[in-house]
Amino acid sequence: MPPVRTARASKKAPPEGFDDLEDTLLEFAAAMKDAENAPHDGKKKYEMVWPIFQITHQRSRYIYELYYEKEAISRQLYDWLLKNGYADAGLIAKWKKQGYEKLCCVRCIQTKETNFRSTCICRVPKEQLKEGQDIQCVNCGCRGCSSGD
Amino acid sequence: MSDVPVRPPPPPPPLPAGWTEHNAPSGHTYYFNKETKKSTYTRPVAAAAQPPPPTPLPPPPASLPARPPASLGAESGYSDYNDPTHQQLNAFDPKRQMEDLIFGGAQNLYSNRGQDHARGGLRGGFRGGHNNFADRPRQPRDRPKHRQDIPGCAPWVLVRTKLRRRFVWNKDTNESFWKFPPDVMKAVIEFDRVEREKKERRERGEPSDVEEDDAMAEIEAGLAQAEEDVEIVEVEGEEGMEDEEEYEEVEVTDDEGEEASHPPKRQRTEEPPTEQPPEDDDLAWQLAQMEEMEQMGGDHEQEEYFEEEPLSEDDCKALFKELLDDTNTNPYTPWDKVLEAGALYGDERYKALPNMKARKECFDEWARDKIQYLKEQKAKQQKLDPRIPYLALLDRYATPKLYWPEFRRKYKKEPELKDMKLPDKEKEKLYREHIKRIGMHSSELKSDLTALLKAQPLAALNHSSTLDTLPSSILIDLRYISLPPSSREPLIKTYISTLPAAPEGAAASAEEEAAVAKKREERRRRERALAEREKSVQEEKRQQERDLAYGKGRLREEEMEIERAMNVGKEGLRAHLGAE
Ligand SMILES: [Zn+2]
Ligand SMILES: [Zn+2]
Repeated sequence: MPPVRTARASKKAPPEGFDDLEDTLLEFAAAMKDAENAPHDGKKKYEMVWPIFQITHQRSRYIYELYYEKEAISRQLYDWLLKNGYADAGLIAKWKKQGYEKLCCVRCIQTKETNFRSTCICRVPKEQLKEGQDIQCVNCGCRGCSSGD
Repeated sequence: MSDVPVRPPPPPPPLPAGWTEHNAPSGHTYYFNKETKKSTYTRPVAAAAQPPPPTPLPPPPASLPARPPASLGAESGYSDYNDPTHQQLNAFDPKRQMEDLIFGGAQNLYSNRGQDHARGGLRGGFRGGHNNFADRPRQPRDRPKHRQDIPGCAPWVLVRTKLRRRFVWNKDTNESFWKFPPDVMKAVIEFDRVEREKKERRERGEPSDVEEDDAMAEIEAGLAQAEEDVEIVEVEGEEGMEDEEEYEEVEVTDDEGEEASHPPKRQRTEEPPTEQPPEDDDLAWQLAQMEEMEQMGGDHEQEEYFEEEPLSEDDCKALFKELLDDTNTNPYTPWDKVLEAGALYGDERYKALPNMKARKECFDEWARDKIQYLKEQKAKQQKLDPRIPYLALLDRYATPKLYWPEFRRKYKKEPELKDMKLPDKEKEKLYREHIKRIGMHSSELKSDLTALLKAQPLAALNHSSTLDTLPSSILIDLRYISLPPSSREPLIKTYISTLPAAPEGAAASAEEEAAVAKKREERRRRERALAEREKSVQEEKRQQERDLAYGKGRLREEEMEIERAMNVGKEGLRAHLGAE
């Protein structure tokens, strides 16, 4: 959860250009809050965290694209955003690597915690899956993030 | 075919002295003058005894290709033909005119084809009137692109035009109709269905049998040819015609605009009706004639068929980007959110790009450029008077319904209100003053604005100024925003148009102006082309719907007929039983 800009936090005001992103970031923050406070509705425990992973992913992607693809924000602002938790630095670091451009979350590529010491099913390329196989990983609810397209 | 009249040709007029009639090996008739040693396909005519040109084919209904309800039947197409206005319009011979256009002014005064003597007795009286329009050059705006025999419905041929309209043509009687006769319609519907299925199967990658592949290949070949702007598909058996010595003297005068760049392959020839089927340039002719009739039908939408350059990929992108600009899309917003907001769907330009991937890419490109542009603007603005953006904000949002504190609260997120370079006191003062002025009488506001405009030096405001390049001395003045944009902008535009050109040293701005004008023109062109494309898609859709509705109507009718027949049968039986 990134800090809400209160009077105290604004002492260290964000670098120039933050204003342009603020609306979208507030929307993400609101969506995140909703996801965190969402009722259980009989969902499985691990399903509850999926929206949170998703929003983290979207927000990181947003900042990643603004900096690397659209060159819309300064390095200073980018660093400030990472430092203040607006984007997941670990995830962005992976996106820069070939084959991980669309990685959903860092948990899905960790082999240590899994039963079979392998990465998540969502990392298996589409063409290697059985015909019509519908997948969704347990970690973040991803439906496949290694496809090359 | 019973309801489509087969019209016997009239006897050809006698040949003038010196001319003889011959048959070429191809089956065409040509004429030879032994004095001048000249040969021509056009039947020569004695100048003095010129009988009036014959009436052309019955035209399609004026509102092309509208189809009357099935119950009216094919006859209805002709009913309005007896209307005096139609007859008036038929006073000249469009057929000849079109022949002149298409075939380079050859003197085709007589034609054996397509006479409607069965029904048009009266019309003869109107022939040979003034050729009011005959001298007016007019290009056929549409032309045949592709023809296909309608399976199981010989001798009918389905012809598709460049504008993707369709008509049917009877090879034997040489009649053509936009409105398909009922039995042809049935065959065409069936044909379309088969084609559609083939296409779908092909898209799914399913193998189709050889015969279909051949058919498909033929269609594709036809289309490919059409794309290369080959006007019409060649018919076998016609090659080598040009080599015939007899045809050497046939002249083609290429003085008719666009057609000049595509001179027709052959002169059109006069054929007795018993001859082999006419050629494809006859199709062009048929189409041209139908177009002509269509135009005479009173629907003078000249612009409709104005040929725009087709949209290039860049054009499509530019259209989409202009949509993003026009909807004030925030380039810092993620694409998903832009889509969610839903402001884009309603606009035609949204469909300029074929799919989501293309749209996303285009959006990214646009956002990237837009952000760069905004950055530059910001850098420039920082040097500018902070009152300019603030007044622009007031112009957008200020309303007498809101007091200053309410206004400030409501729009506190706007950068203009946050901007500290303009003290709050000044902001408040400007707001109150502005609200007061909004309440004033508009004539007063107008004279205030005129006074403000008149006070500008010519260097700042001159003939090449635009609404986007007004000097800051105007933009920081409350008198400028007192009038709403709807009445302010025309006033300023009018005023600017009365101004002389800029004094020396303003050349750069004039160049900029030219660039802006060019940009505007480009944009207009793209939007026209998009509208054009949309129109033809819609037209096709409507046509399909009509075809479907028409087909359904026919089907219902037939069902009812069968039902009727069965009822009668039962009753008849019952009556019969009762009698016994
Ligand atoms: Zn994944
Ligand atoms: Zn994951």
